[in-house]
Amino acid sequence: MSNILQEKPEAEELPKNFSAGVLVDGRYLPPPEDGDGKLWVRTSALIQADAQSLYALWRDVERAPTWQEQIVSVVPTAPTTSHWVMKSGDSTIEWDSEVLADISGKRIAWRSIGGDSDNAGEVIFEDAPGGRGTMVTVLQEFRMGKIASAWETFVGRNPKQAVIENLRHFKALAEAGEIPRAQPGPHGDRGAIGSAKKSLYGENVAIPPAKAS
Amino acid sequence: MKAVCWMGTSKIETLNVPDPELLNPRDAIIKITKTAICGSDLHLYDGFIPTMEAGDVLGHEFMGIVEEVGKGVGNLKRGDRVVIPFTIACGSCLFCKKQLWSACDNSNPNAHLMEKAYGYSGSALFGYSHMMGGYAGGQAQYARVPFADVGPLKIESDLPDEKVLFLSDIFPTGYMAAENAQIEPGDTVAVWGCGPVGQFAIASAFMLGAGRVIAIDRLPERLALARNLGAITVNYEEEDLSVLTALKDLTGGIGPDSCIDAVGLEAHSADLQVAYDKVKAALMMETDRPGVLRQAIQAVRKGGTLSIPGVYGGLLDKVPFGAAFGKGITMKMGQTHMQKYMKPLLDRIEAGQIDPSYIISHRITLDQAPEMYKVWRDKKENVTKIVIDPWASAA
Repeated sequence: MSNILQEKPEAEELPKNFSAGVLVDGRYLPPPEDGDGKLWVRTSALIQADAQSLYALWRDVERAPTWQEQIVSVVPTAPTTSHWVMKSGDSTIEWDSEVLADISGKRIAWRSIGGDSDNAGEVIFEDAPGGRGTMVTVLQEFRMGKIASAWETFVGRNPKQAVIENLRHFKALAEAGEIPRAQPGPHGDRGAIGSAKKSLYGENVAIPPAKAS
Repeated sequence: MKAVCWMGTSKIETLNVPDPELLNPRDAIIKITKTAICGSDLHLYDGFIPTMEAGDVLGHEFMGIVEEVGKGVGNLKRGDRVVIPFTIACGSCLFCKKQLWSACDNSNPNAHLMEKAYGYSGSALFGYSHMMGGYAGGQAQYARVPFADVGPLKIESDLPDEKVLFLSDIFPTGYMAAENAQIEPGDTVAVWGCGPVGQFAIASAFMLGAGRVIAIDRLPERLALARNLGAITVNYEEEDLSVLTALKDLTGGIGPDSCIDAVGLEAHSADLQVAYDKVKAALMMETDRPGVLRQAIQAVRKGGTLSIPGVYGGLLDKVPFGAAFGKGITMKMGQTHMQKYMKPLLDRIEAGQIDPSYIISHRITLDQAPEMYKVWRDKKENVTKIVIDPWASAA
């Protein structure tokens, strides 16, 4: 499977200007559609914290394992590059990532620059109307086309859902100081069907921080 | 520890399971001293709630003694006596800040399952399916309580467990139903369903100034409890009785100022095909239940209020919305915002305004629970409320 994941269609850069935004000149923009071997996901969260501290939490890549699923380590390799390690079960994938744009308190854009994952993304932080917190919008792109299902088999989640869950975890960590988890909890014998359903419910994906095992 | 486990539709067993452990900094472990079976647990028993799985520990009405706290919990310590709210809330999201605790954004680890079914996720609940969080419940000897610095209500007085246990769900739920009914002094309030939530809605309606409360049910033991509270009772199973006619006769033809639907239709739906079909089937079997909502809309007076503490989970058919619009009624509903009501209601109990333990009909052990689920579901032995002592052994 690692060969499949390393297949790399022609990479291109994300648009430079706040492409994660949902508004241009007062008009709403729908999210981009999948196609040409790319999956897109755009998701947003209203978070009760100021934009600057949320930006700081996101930009601190070494803290990513505390809120991103299955990320076991992120090591900065230069001011704008870092090395990411993701672990699922007994399998591990690794890639390097580069920050393309970085405006303190407002916007971060990045892309992978080699390794087992080919993705690019952007996050923007905007004050919500009426002073009701910060709207955090993430746009992420995976260049994988038909290998999406292989990815899903590997990480236990559709990559789009993983982006949505990671933003949910980010919000919980920022607001509540911890990410809610119910597993492992006490239970009686689940039988074969009950155990199989863990995967259906997404409960086979550990809530971050992932336990080093 | 011992725990009551859901093992499939109409299949409940008391089993030995691992003890819960602290998982997050804001967790506490509670040694449970009293716990109860809720009417809504019967819908789990009957298999109407999707995403219940074999082995799930049941129970969302419980209290006990703090055994252990995480390093993020500063307001509780080992030995504190606490009542646990059935909804789990973080205390810091937009909704918690607005006191809309049951809409908490940050307590459900399986929020994506709720989002697929409803487009949103509310707060997680204890022991009430994986869609609602997958947290182990409190019909057990111990429970893990997340966000323990926000939810648990400390009991500092020596009131017995049975007087404060129902602060965990049904008393606040009945009280919020009465508050949602927007009662003005002297109002006539009709309450459909005289189970525990209906009972506390009736008692709370009087507390909030109702001049007359009309209680509607079919079970004599429940109607007797309602009359003890001062309500007028209407048994809808009596021959030739029309609830709508009765409500007109008792209000000079205008209808009650407020109507409370404490019956509901406690089925949830999920986007999973199988679950959706299951819910559809459940709805087909329960066609008399949306009937309460229709009847309440027809009965309430012009400009009146309809309050709905009963749970609805799906798509309702043939709701007389034209009548609702024509009369200009207000509808208020939803899961209880527990943390807003627990302390004020404890104050009322401590002041002697109400003793919620009056609804208890059965006191049992954990080992007796599987049998008592069946007894209550089948409406035998005049059950009104079952309380479990998790440390008692059967005589």
